[in-house]
Amino acid sequence: MNFITWFGVLTLDDNGILSKCDLFQKDRDELAIQLVNTEVVNANKPPSGFDFRSAAVECGFLESKEEYDALLRDVSIRAAKYQISLSGTTDMRIIQAVEALDDIDGVVNTLSERLAEWYGIYFPELGLTGDLLACFVSEYGSRSNIPPENGLYENAATSMGAELTGADEKLIKAFALNICNLYETRSKIETYLAEIMTSTGPNLASVAGTLLGARLISLAGGFERLAYFPSSTVQVIGANRALFKHLRARAPSPKHGIIYNHPLIKNAPWWQRGKIARAVAAKISLASRIDLYSGKLDESLEVELARKIEVIRLANPNAPKKSKKTIGVKSISKKIRRHG
Amino acid sequence: MRVAKMSSGIFTIIRGETKQLATKNLVPSISVYGEKLVEFEGDEYRLWDAHRSKLGAMVLKKFEIPIAKDSRVLYLGAASGTTVSHVSDIIPEGIVYAVEFSTRTMRDLIQLCDKRPNIIPILADAEKPHLYAHIVETVDVIFQDVAQPNQAEIAALNAKQFLKKDGFLMLAIKARSIDTVVNPKKIFKEEIRKLERDFSVGFEVLKMHELTPYHEDHLGLVAKLHPRNQNNKI
Repeated sequence: MNFITWFGVLTLDDNGILSKCDLFQKDRDELAIQLVNTEVVNANKPPSGFDFRSAAVECGFLESKEEYDALLRDVSIRAAKYQISLSGTTDMRIIQAVEALDDIDGVVNTLSERLAEWYGIYFPELGLTGDLLACFVSEYGSRSNIPPENGLYENAATSMGAELTGADEKLIKAFALNICNLYETRSKIETYLAEIMTSTGPNLASVAGTLLGARLISLAGGFERLAYFPSSTVQVIGANRALFKHLRARAPSPKHGIIYNHPLIKNAPWWQRGKIARAVAAKISLASRIDLYSGKLDESLEVELARKIEVIRLANPNAPKKSKKTIGVKSISKKIRRHG
Repeated sequence: MRVAKMSSGIFTIIRGETKQLATKNLVPSISVYGEKLVEFEGDEYRLWDAHRSKLGAMVLKKFEIPIAKDSRVLYLGAASGTTVSHVSDIIPEGIVYAVEFSTRTMRDLIQLCDKRPNIIPILADAEKPHLYAHIVETVDVIFQDVAQPNQAEIAALNAKQFLKKDGFLMLAIKARSIDTVVNPKKIFKEEIRKLERDFSVGFEVLKMHELTPYHEDHLGLVAKLHPRNQNNKI
């Protein structure tokens, strides 16, 4: 029988004795690449219990058994490093970018609130927030620096705020500049995601939008995984807590996860959201599968989705009566106690 | 302060009332993941936190650890190498094949391998042992800590290909990756039944114990291949 090892292809005769060795070149980098690219299937895998060390010496690949560990270790480390170097895929770039975006959102809100409080001491009448405030402060600093042609000049001249000078002004300007830059980076990431999503996942981008599409990829852990998910999973990705509560106890099933941010769902009246979420999730699944296998934009997806949504709207024009929720809560606590 | 030996290469450092698990540092003066280094009578020990290692917890739960100083170990689910580094300490004359599927954690694991002479990193899916059957030889011990729903099957597949006839399987079963809803005790029972009967290799469980309070909803177990496999094996 023929089989493959990390140092060569070996043949055993009918008595299980080594009869032939086709050794690989004893070059560490070559061996590492060989290691990664070898397709071992059941037909060519070494028999269980086979003595690699003796065979490596018997074939003349190694001088002695002592050499075995050190060489295999070195080759394996090279192979793993080579595999890692290949793993920087488009998926990973999308995931890191969208996670960075979410991190910036979290941080920048906290910092902006701080800046609003801080700058409020010096110019409470300003009335700007977010990126406008940050970039304004980083540009002018003290309100006395606002030029007469600026619309805020009047407000600044008559403000009840304190004077901002010296070290305080320097500090607050530097602080504001950082926030202003973060907002700028955020919009650059958004543009980047829009580009990369329309080129690698045009259908997903058109059905879900670039940002939501990227978030779904991030939560799923990759494009392929997202495409392989059933659409019922797509519908509730991002609603983990609600989903597990539903599975563990008798809580209602979540209607939507991260896909809630889709304008079709977000802007729909509450009683249609579950139905619309299901329709949107179904189309997102289709879209990501088309992207994975063909990559061509299929415009009929969006049209069909719009038609489906219209049908849902027409069929459910009025809000149903809300049922009492207390029953559900009671049965949850009962069930938990039984588990306890 | 004194040092007591618990098992080959595994020690407890006793200082007054406190006892701490440790292994003898194979690469002195280097701490792998921020653990404390302690010197005693010319040897350096690395403290081993059982809360971060299922193998460590199994030692404290009085498992007999079947790893000797020259053992060959196949470690499935190596992660960043916290526990692997201690295994590497325990087997100064042996070797550990560390299988890990995630490229992210493999990045950390490789840096550990670079510093230690007896760890062989393998970036592969433990569910597909044929993918590394050309690298890994027959081993004395398989240690498995993978958070997969088919943990028992993975153990059986790997044991069939790699485990010596009289070798040992050490398994940490994580109930929550098999089912988030069912009672862990029920899951453990079912997994043991699978190990004993479901696959082409069967196991005989020698000892099992839950790993609380170090790890919630985890069962540690040591098993060997059931004699019924010894004759008709492949």
